[in-house]
Amino acid sequence: MKKLVMLVLSLIMGLSLVFAAGCGSDPAPAASSAGGDAPDIKAVKDRGVLKIGVKVDVPKFGFKDPNTGKVDGMEIDLARALAKKILGDESKIEVQPVTAKTRGPLLDNGEVDFVIATFTITDERKQSYNFSDPYFEDGVALMVKKDAGITDLAGLNGKKIGVAQSATSKQALLDEIKKQNLKIDILEFGTYPEIKTALDSGRIDCFSVDGAILAGYLDDTTVILPARYSPQLYGVAAKKGNEGLTKVANDTIADMKSSGELDKILTKWGLK
Amino acid sequence: MPGPFALFKWQAVLRDWQVFAEGFGMTILVSVLALVLALVLGILFGMMGTAQTKPLRYLNRIYVEFIQNTPLVIQIFFLYNGLPYLGVMLPVFWVGMLGIGVYHGAYVAEVVRAGILSTPKGQFEAAYAQGFSYWGAMRYVILPQAKRMAYPPLTNLAVNLIKNTSVMAMVAGGELMYHADSWASSNLYYGPAYIITGLLYIAICLPLATYAKYLERRLEVSS
Repeated sequence: MKKLVMLVLSLIMGLSLVFAAGCGSDPAPAASSAGGDAPDIKAVKDRGVLKIGVKVDVPKFGFKDPNTGKVDGMEIDLARALAKKILGDESKIEVQPVTAKTRGPLLDNGEVDFVIATFTITDERKQSYNFSDPYFEDGVALMVKKDAGITDLAGLNGKKIGVAQSATSKQALLDEIKKQNLKIDILEFGTYPEIKTALDSGRIDCFSVDGAILAGYLDDTTVILPARYSPQLYGVAAKKGNEGLTKVANDTIADMKSSGELDKILTKWGLK
Repeated sequence: MPGPFALFKWQAVLRDWQVFAEGFGMTILVSVLALVLALVLGILFGMMGTAQTKPLRYLNRIYVEFIQNTPLVIQIFFLYNGLPYLGVMLPVFWVGMLGIGVYHGAYVAEVVRAGILSTPKGQFEAAYAQGFSYWGAMRYVILPQAKRMAYPPLTNLAVNLIKNTSVMAMVAGGELMYHADSWASSNLYYGPAYIITGLLYIAICLPLATYAKYLERRLEVSS
């Protein structure tokens, strides 16, 4: 019994040490030393492959084709461009599926170098992760059933809206609901298909997320309303401290913007 | 470097404590009601499992096998997204309470059945000799004895039931896990969020589990 107590005590002490280390708020060391690569870039080069967290349930951005099993989309193209920039070969990427819940932890524990997963930049999130300059801008939109006859947010008064577990669309809607003095319930689900299922079964009256993502879930029974709320900016996220990676992401996005490459990719995926 | 457990993230959890408190209250409410339902169903079906009439025993087997051999997640998902197609739109609170109650009822039924079967046959015969009917003997002679055997495993089931309420997070159930997921995925302060959530579950489950241990020990002494 005594031994057990000792073990538990030492475990707690060990853990608190780890936490304390995590709590320290000393500024990140200067990332790039003159001349050579930053350590985070070097780690990628040594490994020879760029590890990217992407969505697999968002058509056009990152979507796993159920027939071929291949993940493809605008954000995968962006990942290839990053791999080309860092490793000189656009095929050297290793994609890993992420969700709103897993993308943060996967960055923190180093499982992925970048997360490119319809990740909206917010001030709160910037405290935890490095975000690149935005590569896409979109507004929150509403999808309803055709036969419901709803044409605007006010038409959803007293009804339920389903959103994904990520506050940006929720907050945007809450602001708008407050402005129009409406009473609408907002329910959160883990993944987009779950929200669509809930809309189909009538559990919710509206599926709301960024317009371009929503477009991937449009079918014969549903319609997307024209209104857009609070623009969402998507950025490439990296772990805090990996300043070198963020710089590469910024450079790549800037290059792609000026060369028209980014527009080309957006057009290719029907996002423009 | 702000890691997942940076100080300001802990402060954020404390600032938003109401979010967690609201979920915690919901978890307790669903747990209590689901537990009552599970006990009622369990005792009923447990007695049916030892009945002399075959149809009753079959009914017990159908319920227990069907529930025990399908995942709770699918049962909840069916109640939430399947039933509306049949014209039944249960509020999510009912989905959670019914789904979890019925699921654990099957396990309670097995515990009750085992408790009854562990009571010596002579007890039944003695009760019949005194003029008790089957249900009378059950009520006044067998169940009070079976209860003692069944208590420790039942308490463990209660612990499992509380933890399983977390499946409601999947269908926007508004309990502790849902609020933790929602809060943590919006600001990504997941480190403290899930530790606090875990501690809250421990706060209700550990006392129950300890109580089960105590009951077990007492059972050993008395038998």
